Amino acid sequence: MRHVRGFDVARPLSIGMLVFMMMPLVFLPLLSIFIFGTNKGLASFWAALMAPEAVFALKLSMVTSFWATVFNVLFGLFAAYVLSRHAFWGRNALIVTISLPTAIPTAVAGVALLMLWGPFGILGRLLRPHGIEVMFTAGAIVLANIFVTFPLAFGVIKPVFDTMSRSLEEASATIGATRWQTFWHVTLPSLRGAIVSGALLTFARAVGEFGSTIMVSGNLAGRTQTAPLYIFAKFNEGQIEAANAIAIVLALFSFLVFSVLFFARDWLDVD
Amino acid sequence: MAQVVSVMDNKVNPISNGSATAYAASIVGVSKLFGKTSVLQNITFHVAEGEALVLLGASGSGKTTILRIIAGLEQPYTGKIILHNKDVTELPARERGVGVIFQSYALFPKMTVEKNIGYGLRIRHRPRKEVKKTVNELLQLVQLEEHRKKYPSQLSGGQQQRVAIARTLAYKPEVLLFDEPFGALDAQTRGHLRREIRALLKKVNVPAIFITHDQEEALELGDRIAVINVGNIEQIGTPAEVYNHPATEYVATFLGAANILDAIVRKDRIEVNSALIPARIDEKFKDGETVKIVFRPEDVLLSKTPLPAGRACLSGGIVEQTSFVGAYERLRVRLDPAGGACETGDNPYYLTTETPESQTAKPIIVTRPKPEAVEVKLQRGDRVFVGLNAFTILPKTSRPK
Repeated sequence: MRHVRGFDVARPLSIGMLVFMMMPLVFLPLLSIFIFGTNKGLASFWAALMAPEAVFALKLSMVTSFWATVFNVLFGLFAAYVLSRHAFWGRNALIVTISLPTAIPTAVAGVALLMLWGPFGILGRLLRPHGIEVMFTAGAIVLANIFVTFPLAFGVIKPVFDTMSRSLEEASATIGATRWQTFWHVTLPSLRGAIVSGALLTFARAVGEFGSTIMVSGNLAGRTQTAPLYIFAKFNEGQIEAANAIAIVLALFSFLVFSVLFFARDWLDVD
Repeated sequence: MAQVVSVMDNKVNPISNGSATAYAASIVGVSKLFGKTSVLQNITFHVAEGEALVLLGASGSGKTTILRIIAGLEQPYTGKIILHNKDVTELPARERGVGVIFQSYALFPKMTVEKNIGYGLRIRHRPRKEVKKTVNELLQLVQLEEHRKKYPSQLSGGQQQRVAIARTLAYKPEVLLFDEPFGALDAQTRGHLRREIRALLKKVNVPAIFITHDQEEALELGDRIAVINVGNIEQIGTPAEVYNHPATEYVATFLGAANILDAIVRKDRIEVNSALIPARIDEKFKDGETVKIVFRPEDVLLSKTPLPAGRACLSGGIVEQTSFVGAYERLRVRLDPAGGACETGDNPYYLTTETPESQTAKPIIVTRPKPEAVEVKLQRGDRVFVGLNAFTILPKTSRPK
């Protein structure tokens, strides 16, 4: 150390360098949406946002992501419970399989779902004569969301289960609680933080899903068009303001979710 | 007078099947295997109403497994658990009504003190009024009224333990099981809490089983102590019985310091190191049989002059090391290779610091209370006469039949 008390030039230099590197990669692209989206005034931004198709796309994204989140959190809880409480042959294989969907390109996920549920898919072919159409509906979007966000909640909840002391549950049992009472009163409260962050992660990821959704939804405006699909469609049609308005909403939304995750984590996990 | 004792008979009363007994808890013939390893072999003991029994053993002795089997957290391979005349062996933990105080206390972290204490009643769907009343009484009993709204993480170790006890007392447990209750606490808090818990148990009159590896804790907490070694009960008895009359070498050495010497039975005497000491010999020892004698460091008598007649004189010896340990002085004494004649002191084979045997002769550990250590100063190289105030004769093979 050359400067014991004096000015250390490495400090502002390294911080400045970090910010400079992030400029073209993160900050400027985000800034551009806001500049483009609002450069014709807030009134036109508001009008673009309130267009019926835009409102529908946002609503559809929220609703489909909500149901995918509900399912994946419940499933993640159940899977984490089974896989951390019971040792059995093939357990690791199951853990890897659950984690796999995030590693698969989202377009591949879309194709995979089509191959199963599509009109000529393995199951779809059997359902079609009964008038049951799964693909190109809101249900298909939920399925795609479930698939691509499958391991997120599980991945957050499982480690908490693993490190949770068994003696809490044993204490509850000796006190006289049934398994269900123990789960409800003892296990679940300890998982609160993990469940909330798992849900937020899943929801944020599902809202932004594009690759698989575009393949399975049919991308019908006002029927099966989610917010990211709307942005893509409007951009292709040259309606930059319309695309930008939704983009701003989605960007702010993600920012909010991750802020909550970052700052609320400690609060949620307080013992 | 030399007080001479023989081995205590440590037979356990077999439980009479089906008939009513005064026992709060009975563990009958319990054994347990983990895989192919046997961790408990035919364990039988009983706990009387209001009694505190301590299971004392080293880690890995199987004592925790016994506790978990009583609680229903582990199934025995053979044997029965009977609580107040009811066979609960097949019942799950939650139907046994046993209170377990875990080593980590296992308080529910997201519940306040009062919620923790009321948990047992709430899951039993008792009326809110009753829950509140019981919780208030228990808070008062364990003196935590001002902490009722706090969370476990805001309490000290001792306070957490009191919450854990109150939480089990709420549903009036058949028996309380304490798993290494003071393991996580510092030495000072331990002693204090021990006395507090003992007083509390006497007040509520609930039978308790403690598990510990700490002999001091066992002696202070237990009405009776069961010494467990590799899945067997070596001895069960009151603290005084187990300490003063250990049934086996293991019990003798595990419960405090003990000196062990080889000896031979000679009619109404016992021959140790060529000294003949008068002793009351148990019938089970034959004349001429090789045995062991066990004696505590504090039961050794050291004198610079020949011992008065009538004292059980063991040998002459030489002080090798002295150290001051607070309340008493600890000495290591090497016994003369051929003791004998220590009443008179005319022993041609006595040790000095120069004799080569001073490195090899049998050493014993002696403790003397402070007043005695001050009055008769001893230092390295001093010749002493060694007498015994009390000792126990044990068979050569350490395990009782």
